Amino acid sequence: MKTDDLVTLLASDAAHAEPAGFGRATGLVALAGLALSASALLLMFGPRTDLTAAAATAPVLAKFALGASVAALALFAFQRSLRPGRAAAGGLALVLVPVAAVIAWAIAVLATQPMPAWPALVLGRSWSACLVLVPLYALLPLAGLFLLARRGAPVRPRLTGLAAGIGAAGLATVAYALHCPEDAVPFLATWYPLAMAVAGGLGALAGPRLLRW
Amino acid sequence: MLDLSPPVSLDDFEAVLHPAFMGGLEGDAAAYRRFLDLIGGRLRGFLRGHLARAGLAGAEEVEDVLQETLLALHLSRHTYDPAVPVSAWAHAIARYKLIDHLRRSGRHRGHLPIEDEALAQPEPGGAASDAKLDVERALATLPERTRTLIDRVKLQGGSLAEAAQATGMTENAAKVAIHRGLKAMAKVLSRRGPRTP
Repeated sequence: MKTDDLVTLLASDAAHAEPAGFGRATGLVALAGLALSASALLLMFGPRTDLTAAAATAPVLAKFALGASVAALALFAFQRSLRPGRAAAGGLALVLVPVAAVIAWAIAVLATQPMPAWPALVLGRSWSACLVLVPLYALLPLAGLFLLARRGAPVRPRLTGLAAGIGAAGLATVAYALHCPEDAVPFLATWYPLAMAVAGGLGALAGPRLLRW
Repeated sequence: MLDLSPPVSLDDFEAVLHPAFMGGLEGDAAAYRRFLDLIGGRLRGFLRGHLARAGLAGAEEVEDVLQETLLALHLSRHTYDPAVPVSAWAHAIARYKLIDHLRRSGRHRGHLPIEDEALAQPEPGGAASDAKLDVERALATLPERTRTLIDRVKLQGGSLAEAAQATGMTENAAKVAIHRGLKAMAKVLSRRGPRTP
């Protein structure tokens, strides 16, 4: 077919095109994903037994804040990456800000403690559960985000996948904080960001494969 | 008519491209056709330059990637972000399709510049030529009724009403059939495996 013929054909299909509201759609998918992750986690593991007493303490609030801020920043970069022509990479790097804040806090906490106490503060009793469960529960919102991404035009699918993975892990972190019994700041500053990185890596691997168009 | 083949500066180019594209979004077929012609000419030079550097200099190859890009632009109109220039949006999509094409033919090494400069320093566009068979092959996978309709639209110079009448469809049904057909073609093009030389 000649390119001119193709142009004729495409112009004949020039019906009114509605701009997609990816920001709004991303928000809805995120809320649904968070609700699903939290319900699944509470059904399977239940909330931490002292949730009502612990919910207002600084470490638990920090978990919510870390998860929510990472999710918001990553998902903002995600929805941007569905519309070609803008660099989304710079925006995604902002997720390092809340992570750095928590790490700085953890270092301050460790500095007040004798060195022999450090391993217990960092490792806690459930670091492997955190590392497995957060990426696992991130899969629910991640699936929704990938479905949404297929409606966009992700010209950098690895970046889109990475942002979706980190954003989904941020949401899963909020859900996991309802269950996670660890309250040492060095624990959450180590394992929460690592779990988010695992989910981000999964997203970055899956992006180029699942988001081809 | 203003001569917009390169070397028109990117700003001047955007100044004519933007209204044509926005008109197209509102459903103005003439404006939209102008947008496709403008961006097609510009992208042809961009694609030719990059394909030549990758050792794929054939004019048909250029036309293949150009056609796939135009189809992708058309089906991604809803992803246009009004905060960016239309040319930057189109260039990002062309770059994606080019990399995809190079990767399939085993020629992709490293990164292509994502900056607008790639489009800002236009390369000689040259004339359009026939594509190889990519779009043709995608077309062949469509239902016969849709193919007949598409042939009619080409013959009637883009008049959907006449093409619909000639194939015994309502204009609305023809519209839907063509849109679905274009989507199906894009899907076939993006799923095709490595190219056999």
